[in-house]
Amino acid sequence: MIIANRKTVEEIKESLKAYKKVLTVGCGGCTAVCMAGGMKEVNDLNTQLDILFKDDKVVFQINGAVVERQCEVPYLAELDEIVKPYDAILSMACGAGVQFLAERYPDKPVFPALNTVFVGVNKDIGWYEERCKSCGECVLGMTGGICPITMCAKGLLNGPCGGPQDGHCEANSEADCAWIKIYERLKAQGRLDNILKITPAREWQDQVQGSLVLDKFRDKYSKKETK
Amino acid sequence: MSEHDLKPINIDQIRALLKEKEAGMKLRLAACAGCTLCAESCFMFMNKGKGQDPQFMPSFKVLNTLGKLYRKRGKVSRAELEQMRKLLWSNCALCERCYCPLGVDLPNMIAFARKILRSQEIEADGQQAPEKKEVSK
Amino acid sequence: MAVFLGGIAWRLVELFRLTRKRERVAWPTRNVRADSPAEQKFRPILSFQHSLIGQHPVMAVVSGLFHLCVFIAPLFAKGHNLMMRESLGFCFWSLPLTATDALTVLVLGGVLFMLARRLVIPRVRAVSGLADYALLALVAVPYLTGFIAYHQWLPYRAIVTLHMLTGEAMLIAIPFTKMAHMVFFLFARGFMESEHNVGRGDRVWSS
Repeated sequence: MIIANRKTVEEIKESLKAYKKVLTVGCGGCTAVCMAGGMKEVNDLNTQLDILFKDDKVVFQINGAVVERQCEVPYLAELDEIVKPYDAILSMACGAGVQFLAERYPDKPVFPALNTVFVGVNKDIGWYEERCKSCGECVLGMTGGICPITMCAKGLLNGPCGGPQDGHCEANSEADCAWIKIYERLKAQGRLDNILKITPAREWQDQVQGSLVLDKFRDKYSKKETK
Repeated sequence: MSEHDLKPINIDQIRALLKEKEAGMKLRLAACAGCTLCAESCFMFMNKGKGQDPQFMPSFKVLNTLGKLYRKRGKVSRAELEQMRKLLWSNCALCERCYCPLGVDLPNMIAFARKILRSQEIEADGQQAPEKKEVSK
Repeated sequence: MAVFLGGIAWRLVELFRLTRKRERVAWPTRNVRADSPAEQKFRPILSFQHSLIGQHPVMAVVSGLFHLCVFIAPLFAKGHNLMMRESLGFCFWSLPLTATDALTVLVLGGVLFMLARRLVIPRVRAVSGLADYALLALVAVPYLTGFIAYHQWLPYRAIVTLHMLTGEAMLIAIPFTKMAHMVFFLFARGFMESEHNVGRGDRVWSS
């Protein structure tokens, strides 16, 4: 699940100070589940901004709307009529949703209310942990289900660096050494020979915008000329 | 009619699943006072349901899916399951934010009802429930 | 009485058996998103807004008063306490007769409000069945007959007998109907692993 975290109300207020009529758009997807951008958060944020701007004696109107997800066109389309009277939009979706929203209404300034932090899991209520860096070359099968890109501070692919102290990472003493954990997991499963193979250096793809079209839908789209 | 539509509902399978969580689920269903205070906590109710349509209200969704499954002891028709599918998937995002003043954990019950429907190969729109194959011991 | 107490005890045991002890795990202290200064100031306002009384003020007040009087009226009624002292040797403190009267009126008012709500508001009607209406009647009758008995508007013996019988019926029904929320609500909110839970979460639902 995508985990996001609300910016402070001070920061959000600062970003909106030039606008008089703002629409806060919430999301019923990931950001609702991690309690950052659901209906309740939209209402709370609007209450706070309303009061803060009133205290400043500034004329400011803010309203809220929630859509199922901001990362899908049909759900965004519900907002078409609703956004018209506003001079800015505050999105409580993850970074992807904010951008989609901004694309759909390019004449309206769109601001993020959240910082999207990671792809992660719910350890427990209100406690989220990163588990995946979306690197595009998943090696979890080899490492017994522990991600060396996410969990190892150096993102190593071929075993520990020789720095672990007492099972902890030398770069971050609070974190366990991911490779020691990988070793222990594989040992328990009798699969230690996995890590005897050398994993070659990978093509780090995160400087380029990721894109994916599923094969069976290819003929719906025309091919783009690559320079 | 596709082959899928003609496949009979496996009532024994539904009953087995219902039994797994029977004590807890029946207690929650019994405790529901029908107070409808859960409604405003559901963004689907407030948006799609315009703050009025009971079909989006959390307690309604649960009582007419899981509640119905327990009431009818799993003896439901495919048509009834299709109605439940609408309540469980179209009318619920499982965002887990619904609130009950009595402490009934609604998302749990929606998820359980979805599980039961999946066992009968009924899934959200556009999804295909995985084929059940026997695994040799 | 035995059925009532036994039934309540049974429901409580059942409730706790469905929970498990939850281990308190240490969380990493870095990256805790604490409230900013402005956000801290808003905490009490927002907490109130999200509370039951903030979201549903009328229902909260009426239901609260109703439930309070449902307990207080019978427990501290002079007539009940006199009988209790005669049979058990001790009793609770008693309220003045007019007070008990007023409380009973509040109970009946509460029942009427709930009935009206069930009939008039569509979303409440949608989850109301025969059992819900019958239960309202079951709760109303003991208080109504108690009220009539006290004012002696109808033949006393008959009314008091009816009062006793319906009162017993209501008590017996409590553990076996949705009135079990009497005990359920006290604990269930603590067992939920959700933002709406109350307490430290040392025990949670096991399923």
